[in-house]
Amino acid sequence: MKLIFEKSVKGRDGYSLPQDLFDDIKIEECLPEYAISKDKKILSEVSEVDVVRHFTKLSKLNYGLDDGFYPLGSCTMKYNPKINEKLASLNNFTYAHPLAPEETVQGSLEIIYDLNKLLCEITGMDEYTMAPAAGAHGELTGNLIMRKYFVDRGDKRHKMLIPDSAHGTNPASAAMADFQVVEVKSNERGTVDLTELAKLMDEDTVGLMLTNPNTVGLYDEGIKDIEKIVHHKGGLLYYDGANLNASLGIIRPGDAGFDVVHLNLHKTFSTPHGGGGPGAGVIGVKKDLIPYLPTPIVAFDSTNKKYYLLDVGSKSIGMVRAFWANFPVLVKTYVWILSMGPDGLYNASETSIINANYVLAKLKKYYKPAYDRYCGHECTVTGKEYKKYGVKTLDISKRLMDYGMHPPTIYFPHFEPYAEETIMVEPPESESKEMLDKFIEIMIKISNEAKTNPELLTTAPHNTPIRRTNDLVAAKRPILTYDDELKLKDELKYQDKNIDF
Amino acid sequence: MRYIPNTEEQKKEMLKEIGVSSFDDLIKEGVPQSIRLKGNLNIPEAISETELEEKIYNIAQKNSNFYLMKPLIGAGAYRHYIPEAEKFLLQREEFWTCYTPYQPELSQGTLQSIFEYQSYISRLIKMDAVIPSIYDGASATAEAALMSLRLTHKNKIIVSNLLHPHYRETVKTYLAPHEPEIIELPYKNGLVDIEKLKILIEEDVASVIIQNPNFFGGIEKLAEISEIVHSKGALLIMVIAESISLGILKAPGDIGADIVTGNAQSFGMDLNYGGPYNAYLATKKEYIRQLPGRIIGETTDVDGKRVFVMTLRAREQDIRREKATSNICTNHNLNVIAADIFLSLIGTEGLYQISLLNTKSAHYLENLLLKSKKFEKIFNYPFYNEFLLKSKEDISTINKKLLENNFIPPLKICEFYKEENLKNVLLFAVTEVLSRDNLNKVAKILSE
Repeated sequence: MKLIFEKSVKGRDGYSLPQDLFDDIKIEECLPEYAISKDKKILSEVSEVDVVRHFTKLSKLNYGLDDGFYPLGSCTMKYNPKINEKLASLNNFTYAHPLAPEETVQGSLEIIYDLNKLLCEITGMDEYTMAPAAGAHGELTGNLIMRKYFVDRGDKRHKMLIPDSAHGTNPASAAMADFQVVEVKSNERGTVDLTELAKLMDEDTVGLMLTNPNTVGLYDEGIKDIEKIVHHKGGLLYYDGANLNASLGIIRPGDAGFDVVHLNLHKTFSTPHGGGGPGAGVIGVKKDLIPYLPTPIVAFDSTNKKYYLLDVGSKSIGMVRAFWANFPVLVKTYVWILSMGPDGLYNASETSIINANYVLAKLKKYYKPAYDRYCGHECTVTGKEYKKYGVKTLDISKRLMDYGMHPPTIYFPHFEPYAEETIMVEPPESESKEMLDKFIEIMIKISNEAKTNPELLTTAPHNTPIRRTNDLVAAKRPILTYDDELKLKDELKYQDKNIDF
Repeated sequence: MRYIPNTEEQKKEMLKEIGVSSFDDLIKEGVPQSIRLKGNLNIPEAISETELEEKIYNIAQKNSNFYLMKPLIGAGAYRHYIPEAEKFLLQREEFWTCYTPYQPELSQGTLQSIFEYQSYISRLIKMDAVIPSIYDGASATAEAALMSLRLTHKNKIIVSNLLHPHYRETVKTYLAPHEPEIIELPYKNGLVDIEKLKILIEEDVASVIIQNPNFFGGIEKLAEISEIVHSKGALLIMVIAESISLGILKAPGDIGADIVTGNAQSFGMDLNYGGPYNAYLATKKEYIRQLPGRIIGETTDVDGKRVFVMTLRAREQDIRREKATSNICTNHNLNVIAADIFLSLIGTEGLYQISLLNTKSAHYLENLLLKSKKFEKIFNYPFYNEFLLKSKEDISTINKKLLENNFIPPLKICEFYKEENLKNVLLFAVTEVLSRDNLNKVAKILSE
């Protein structure tokens, strides 16, 4: 498809500005010569009609959650309710300036304050910061909080334990807090090896970052022992909330002994992923860690009946962003919790766990499970038996696209001999039994195709807007802008006649 | 429950297929009874959509009617014209319900839009490679600072104290674990103190961070600053908090920047009480392997068609884990699409015109206020669309008057700067949403 630049026609415009009524002001008298750009910066010149058609056409090249099944493991692609969007986009919220006087933003502050209380109850924590913009941002914030907590105690801990099954963000976040990452191996049941954990957990160790259920979709049944081992050595327990969708109303991380919790509001709490954000990665802590939260938090002055931004104080890790929060994401979360109520939240987790186990039960004859046991809200199967037909998990996932479905998460987690060629399926509560049956039927069909016509898979997808991409070329000689493309065309005179512009 | 299609009957049927007698039976192994929540969560019972709507409308009413309130405040968040076509297009579910574009076959819409945005920003700031999305200007500047430490293997940074105070705080927070030396570069007469920079700059400095226009709206002498910074082998990190200024100001790449970060909120994003906004982080070709975050590149598919993919992935957390250049994963991609649509609609001429209008109208207001004799200049520096004025009247009284007349008052600069001479000083911001009539009214209110 053409780029917007290739649709540009000199002299066209797509904006509507008030007339410049400041003829009496001369720009040369406002700005010094050294500051003014000599030439206009060239963007594109297109009309509103051109833009609307261009982006409508682009949108049709995407596959969204409202198009169909989207079972990405550990991503919780659940339905995004439409009422959330409407209420988050009320003018009084969207036009609120972050530095407007507090008396003018009492509504926004009330939502932040109330949501904090709800999340504390749902997770068993004492206080939340709404600042982190995404899961990894929350992880960094959590790590900095733990770091400051120990520094303040003159405790020079510098190692962070992270299971081999953890998301890549966990070790990357710990490294940004300058912790040395120590990997904890999983046992044959896919969960934390307690003997190994006990060996590794020492007084130089900050603690353990744990996802529960973990990224294979399995609950750490030894959570009580894990908690004892970590706390016994004075460490802290960090909960990665990526998989909280298996826990609502069933188990609260705070009760299980976690000290720091991050939640992905764009996963468990139904706010849209937006093609990679914005989400929110809010952080909840236990009482002892409240003084270390990023500043400010929202507080309520009960005498004057006013909400206000409270400076957390001298122990705070400081700010992790400009201003306060990804506010509309908080509104959507708040609206969702109020729509669901306690029974609805429980129902969400119960249904998603049943969904995942149902898929596992129906698929395990065709795709060997990484671990043969009941799972949480997602299940991990493997495509390793199809290797002998020359088919990889990648091919299976690409073939799914031909049947109109988004593939599950593949090749993650990866640790041999159990979890290799993995296919991780997360069918959240918003997916019906009929949809799961359809998915199962297609997966079985693909398993037959793998045996009888492997080429169908290795060359898949066939029915998508584009086909498999040449990623190596992209990385070797990066074309990162339209001007790069023009330059390259000039250099190579672009001999390849097949390139379709 | 309308968001959960499976009925109780179906769930029972499925449990039977799984081979367990009940849900409790299914999870008893994974969740030991002893840590299971006893009873229900203590949160309000579910309410209907109508009740919900009424509840949230009522809460929203506790905010001022911001649509009708024109802001005289900026300070890193600017109200600008957002074309309705942009808002309309953004509501397409294909853009906002999908995941990060890991599967290019099903994500060309998102990928191409991000590529277009990278192309726009690259032209505006004259940098080779643009990371389209870090959470916001503050976190992007912190990432740029970390990047400069990796590139130079030095551990000292000079930061202009006319960098947005929240950005400065965030840089400190992000860098704290690495225990660098962070030196604040003071200002003089509303711009960074260049003589002081000459003294502070040494061979052991990794980078110098300068915001332009600075927090007071001042236009820095970047060519001169760049020469000083580079004379000792340090990197110049240039920060833009108001990206519309790029319509008229020189491109950072043309005046010596090595790394550029920019708050893109002005490119079609609502104020939203502080976020989500978005920031770009850009650099020269030779430094791209140290960039944090995602970037989109062009390639071909097996049919030879031009396509777009996530590229240079070997820097990222899901591949490199603790050795990654950053932990960033989910970012603000939908805001990138918003900005791509915005820049497409605004185009070459529109961006120039808005930038021009903002400069002129800010200077118009400054003139009016100075003429009223109720305000005086405390510094003399060239500014873009934000400026400082000292009031002869108490600023709290002034701000109250403005609020009563539906203007969001300017920033009391003493909230961020404690200097004696900055008491009773206001930081005004003007954009195209304030008409000449609006500005005349502001001047009238403040001269009475």
